[in-house]
Amino acid sequence: MRIHVYATLKDYFSPEFELEAVARNTDELKQRLLDINGQAGQLLDSCRFAVEDGFIDNQYKLKENDTVIIIPPSSGG
Amino acid sequence: MIRSSLSPPQVEVSQPSLGVDYVISAGPLDLVGLLSHAHHPAAGAVVLFSGEVRDHNKGREVAYLEYETYRPLAVKMIHEILAEAREKWGLRTAIAQHRIGRLSIGESAVVVITAAAHRREAYEANQHIIHRIKHEVPIWKCEYFSDGTHQWGNNCNC
Repeated sequence: MRIHVYATLKDYFSPEFELEAVARNTDELKQRLLDINGQAGQLLDSCRFAVEDGFIDNQYKLKENDTVIIIPPSSGG
Repeated sequence: MIRSSLSPPQVEVSQPSLGVDYVISAGPLDLVGLLSHAHHPAAGAVVLFSGEVRDHNKGREVAYLEYETYRPLAVKMIHEILAEAREKWGLRTAIAQHRIGRLSIGESAVVVITAAAHRREAYEANQHIIHRIKHEVPIWKCEYFSDGTHQWGNNCNC
């Protein structure tokens, strides 16, 4: 599964990386990300997740070939 | 929420003459050019908001800003926000464009233009659109300060 992160998340993770561990939903993905960097917990709790051009929640079944976008709180304008 | 599968061609483009992708720009925003698309014979009020880079924030001197976005979702969301506002306030025109990349002090980072029959609708819709763009659309600001440090924006001063 491919992971893309943005903005302040890049202080905790590489902008793009391959996640080898299995994550079947966003809760499991969050846990896998915490395994990589445990300091990102508070930030990850405020993030949204997306695949392509749509948000996903924990009901969405992640697939091995998905590219998941981790979206921290917006700060445009 | 289950994943939505709207793709760009299904997005309702609120100003067809500008195309789909105009809402995110890597180059300077052409406020006058965008305004020229806003006039409408049934609109007695046109409101233009330009969010511009100021030289300070919370007592610190700002040197410049950088914005980044997740473009596929940002483009779709901005068009949805514009379409909803157009419907709610009966707008004749609803335009929004956000800059990405490095911006100098004084440059426009975001512009929202609304045109309606009367000013109340144009003002209200304009404020609603900029509020939602700032808080919901995946666009992020990084402030670079004169002391050489930088900080990603994670909340809003508005």
